[in-house]
Amino acid sequence: MSDKVRHVVCPYCGCLCDDILVELDEGKITGVENACTLGAHKFLSDSENRLKGPIMRDGSGWKDISYEDAIDYVVDLLSKADRPILYGWSGCATETQAIGAHLAELIGGVIDSTTSVCHGPSILAIQEVGHPGCTLGQVKNRADTIIYWGSNPIEAHPRHLSRYTNYADAYFFHNAFRERQVIVVDTRKTPSTEIATEFVLVKPGGDYHVLSALRAILRGRADVVPDIVAGVAKPQLIRIVEICKKTNFGAMFFGVGITMTGGKYKNIRNAIEFVDELNRYTKWTISPMRGHSNVYGSNEVFTWISGYPYAVDYSRGIAFYNPGETTVVDILARGEADAALIMASDPGAHFPRICSENLAKIPTILFDPYPSVTTHLCTLQIPSAVNGIDAAGTAYRMDGIPIRTHKFLDNTGYPTDTTLLKQIYDRIREAKENA
Amino acid sequence: MMQVTLTMKPRIKPFLPIEAEMIVPMNFIGSRDIFLYEGNKKRRLEDLFTIRKDGNVNSPEKILVMMKGDTSRVKRVGEYMSSGTIIIEGDIGMHCGNFMRDGYIEILGNAGGWLGREMRGGSILCNGNAGDYCGSGYRGEKRGMRGGKIEVMQNVGDYCGEYLTGGEIHIHGDAGMFAGAEMRGGTLCIDGDARIPAANMSKGTCIVGGTVHEILPSFEYAGEENGMRVYHGDVANKGKGELKVKKIS
Amino acid sequence: MHELLIRNAYVIDPINGILGEIMDIPIRDGRVVDKVSEKSDLIDALGYLTLPGGIDSHTHVCGTKVNFGRYMSPEDMRAGRTSRRGVMYPTSGYTVPTTFGNSYRYSRMGYTTLLEGAMAPLEARHTHEEFAATPMQDMLANTLFDGNWSLFEAVGDNDVKQAAAVIGWTLKAVKGFGIKLTNPGGTEAWGFGDDISGLDETVPNWDITPKQIIDTTIRACELLHLPHSVHLHCNNLGMPGNYKTTLDTMEIPSDMNRDRQTLYLTHVQFHSYGGHTWGDIRSEADKIAASVNNKPHIVIDMGQVMFGRTMTMTADGPMEFRLYTLHHNKWSNHDVELETGSGIIPVYYNRQSLVNSVMWAIGLELALMVKNPWQCLLTTDNPNGAPFVKYPEIIGLLMSNRYRNKELESVHRHINKRTILSSLERELSFEDIAIMTRSGQTKALGLINEGKGHLGEDARADIAIFPVKPDDIDPSKQYEEVIGAFQQTLYTIKDGIVVSRNGEVVTGILNRTFWSKPDLPDDMDVMQSSRFIEKFSRFYSVDLENYAVQDEYVERGVAIDSKVV
Repeated sequence: MSDKVRHVVCPYCGCLCDDILVELDEGKITGVENACTLGAHKFLSDSENRLKGPIMRDGSGWKDISYEDAIDYVVDLLSKADRPILYGWSGCATETQAIGAHLAELIGGVIDSTTSVCHGPSILAIQEVGHPGCTLGQVKNRADTIIYWGSNPIEAHPRHLSRYTNYADAYFFHNAFRERQVIVVDTRKTPSTEIATEFVLVKPGGDYHVLSALRAILRGRADVVPDIVAGVAKPQLIRIVEICKKTNFGAMFFGVGITMTGGKYKNIRNAIEFVDELNRYTKWTISPMRGHSNVYGSNEVFTWISGYPYAVDYSRGIAFYNPGETTVVDILARGEADAALIMASDPGAHFPRICSENLAKIPTILFDPYPSVTTHLCTLQIPSAVNGIDAAGTAYRMDGIPIRTHKFLDNTGYPTDTTLLKQIYDRIREAKENA
Repeated sequence: MMQVTLTMKPRIKPFLPIEAEMIVPMNFIGSRDIFLYEGNKKRRLEDLFTIRKDGNVNSPEKILVMMKGDTSRVKRVGEYMSSGTIIIEGDIGMHCGNFMRDGYIEILGNAGGWLGREMRGGSILCNGNAGDYCGSGYRGEKRGMRGGKIEVMQNVGDYCGEYLTGGEIHIHGDAGMFAGAEMRGGTLCIDGDARIPAANMSKGTCIVGGTVHEILPSFEYAGEENGMRVYHGDVANKGKGELKVKKIS
Repeated sequence: MHELLIRNAYVIDPINGILGEIMDIPIRDGRVVDKVSEKSDLIDALGYLTLPGGIDSHTHVCGTKVNFGRYMSPEDMRAGRTSRRGVMYPTSGYTVPTTFGNSYRYSRMGYTTLLEGAMAPLEARHTHEEFAATPMQDMLANTLFDGNWSLFEAVGDNDVKQAAAVIGWTLKAVKGFGIKLTNPGGTEAWGFGDDISGLDETVPNWDITPKQIIDTTIRACELLHLPHSVHLHCNNLGMPGNYKTTLDTMEIPSDMNRDRQTLYLTHVQFHSYGGHTWGDIRSEADKIAASVNNKPHIVIDMGQVMFGRTMTMTADGPMEFRLYTLHHNKWSNHDVELETGSGIIPVYYNRQSLVNSVMWAIGLELALMVKNPWQCLLTTDNPNGAPFVKYPEIIGLLMSNRYRNKELESVHRHINKRTILSSLERELSFEDIAIMTRSGQTKALGLINEGKGHLGEDARADIAIFPVKPDDIDPSKQYEEVIGAFQQTLYTIKDGIVVSRNGEVVTGILNRTFWSKPDLPDDMDVMQSSRFIEKFSRFYSVDLENYAVQDEYVERGVAIDSKVV
């Protein structure tokens, strides 16, 4: 008996597409429509890969362990740890992330999300100069110039162009696709540069320089700018500035191409200041291409609870924020932690090698429904229901719009990570109160 | 003169960071309890250090605190210090001399990140290398270091003197990337090389005695002065700062 | 069953005509009752001032732009940090505290109900999540309609019923309480970088004017019989000479509601400027107050500015950009498709600045020149004018001419050339203050029937006991003590439970969200309108089916029913 579930929210990337159609047959996902290959893969391969229950290291192998025993282990480990780290969170619902923030405070640990290896620099830049942005529907309805800088949406956010930018339906255009132009700035050719109306090829590490040149030109000081800046010829720079000044509504999007290279947050700051200055001429916005479906949610939740969007250190009983010091990737690189809780993310696959080596040396708990590279580094893995499939919760799209994911599979038998974390929190709190 | 010698004891978990903001000369007058944090655990000074006091004085400017042993993970030493002297024989952790107002800190080894962060006065001498954010400000603040002097005999990491507002930083070796970014006052002097210095500066003076790699296209060449090339900038933000360099590459 | 008896309370309860009587307040299961058993818990109020719990009718504490203000300001967050104390979680934030920070600090001051000043319908879920993390106060959300395309279409058609249908559906969908208009027409113009500078100016791309938007929305609000009136942030906020816009705006509505005002104008201080430029800016508060004085169907709130650092955050995107071009501080902007906008920028109000001194004086002038305290409520548009923790100082200023004169000596020396504050000798009474900080709010918000803002039979037992005895103090001279008393209650009681004692929150509780649920007849069903539905399939970036706020977000919601009149 086949069922169709409509308006499903895809829990994969920051696009948070909410028009997905899922076909179910006898409680199994048999088809997906409207999703891109990344999202479709997430839904279709879900059931093949799930762990049946918690597993614990046993010598060089693994043994099955009950949820009760697993929780016991977690409670014991986290209550005693001197410098526990709670990392990941970007695939979890905000309800879970909130418990995580309270848990970090309770145990005097550090909580951080995948932000710190992705768009952390974007947030650092926003903390210096602010964020002149908007929701994606504004872009779709109004933007006639779109810039993708250090971002390859065709491969990383496949439906971004069709839902929100170049190819999307628009209120203020008769034939939007023909009336828009797309400028793509990158250090190499990509599928996204292929569809650009203008491609700006920058020498690796040269994005900051190009942005400084653009700002100088915008301020009427083209005379100071040399003939070539980071491989970009001055006439092209001048042309870009003219396009930007003359557009009705410009929207810039940027990705890890510039958050994770060269000056990192300085690159982003420079881009934001360019957009700030453009706003004196015409309407411009700038926004980050967030990767995970709910990484922005982790920033929102951690902020309203602790005051800071990521890398929050509670070891002194008060929230302390200092990326570079309190970011988990740096803590692991320095080998400072003595216990780790990894939620719905795969640092083993994404962190520098030294971090993985240090993670393997300490007791590590991984909450993940599926085996991953981090599985090989952890002591205990606990599968829970999957946010967006058999658990519902709030997620924040890359532009800050909160959408509720759907639970369309019942009776999969997995507890939610919210339930499990709440149990852990309550037990540790009780123990502290009775101590 | 009073000398307080603190020698780090061996630790069960030597990788845990220690926060030691109470180690300032003033706190050694009388018999005040001094607490530190090792990770999230509160410790007494004597749990982590052997303590030896020689002499007895009434005012902190006559106190010398000498730190020995592996202090490379000890953070926030000298925070808000307003008088006296601290000498660290080995390496020191992050945030050494945070918010310093007066007095003198000398590090014989290397310093971690954020050396002299948000300093207002006093002086710091680091004989080895210093990490990232030497003499910088704090995230989101419009002003960084406002006064005092930091001298590093060897190299520094990235973002040295970010948001420099007043005072003086002198690096004898090389600086990493973006030294003097967002400068708005004060003097940053790098004897060696630097990459993309003084980015987005609005005021102040940055001097690079070695080679500047990747000088920004928004700095306006204004001629030579005493064998140095002089630039005004950062034109990208209508800045009125001065960048003097020996060579560019 | 839980019983509490408060004895010897010096009660001021203007809604029930009690203006300083020593009495007992029996409470059972969270409501004021006639009497309780001898087994009840007992608090001896020892003759101290006892008021219904504070109600803030316009504050920015929860939602997208508030959180923007937080995470873009780590320097503000670190300036206001506290550690865990008892049941209180650690907090951060000085001008934009974290949700628990807001909640504890408001509770310390005796506040038990807060109306969030602005919520974009598309982002309502965020506001509701933060409501749940502001546990010491019941929460309500003013829902933004100033740039709402479906509403604009109804305004263009001069169709009040259609406007009401759109508003009614939206409030129910997002669990909003009231209708908020912020720079109506201007936030939509800002979608392409423009603004509106006059009530009769046409909104770009739409054939309507702000005056029409305001007029139609007011009529729609009254048709829906909503508890609160339209809540309006006028056009031209902050512009020298804008007092004319404000006066013209006040002429728009007639008296259309028996129980409460027809129009609520918010933070009117920012809208009372004369002159033409920053150079000759002056106060026109007397003209504004005169207009309010002969319009009983209008209520305003002050929007008082206090000196020092704070954060501005409003849906008025273009206005925030103007501040950026003036001060060049870090600026954030967030336009919301088909609905509204917002902007955030930190500011510093400087005593030595003539402009800032005039702003500071105007709020006080308004409160002193509006004769009826029910028509001029105490706010700072937190945090735009000042953080709410400054309310007690404002109370001190309103109750003491001496304090005002002392402050006048330390502001800009030309203040008396631009304002008349020094000539105003009126000193507000404890009763006036009670009205301006709770009774007036509850009447203006239409919450008397919900048991808020008074201590009569069956009222909700939200009560604040302050360490001051009105008969034993001369607020004119002893303003420091008055300020101290309002900074920290002896007891803050919510639903009959002591939640704050001498400044410390002592127990965790769960709050409620009050929202409006107008009952719409079949011919006012937007789901039958293809023009409405098409917005979601073509121009919004989310599906209609995912738009409405699910019940999970208002688990302890109180729906206030109303019927189309």
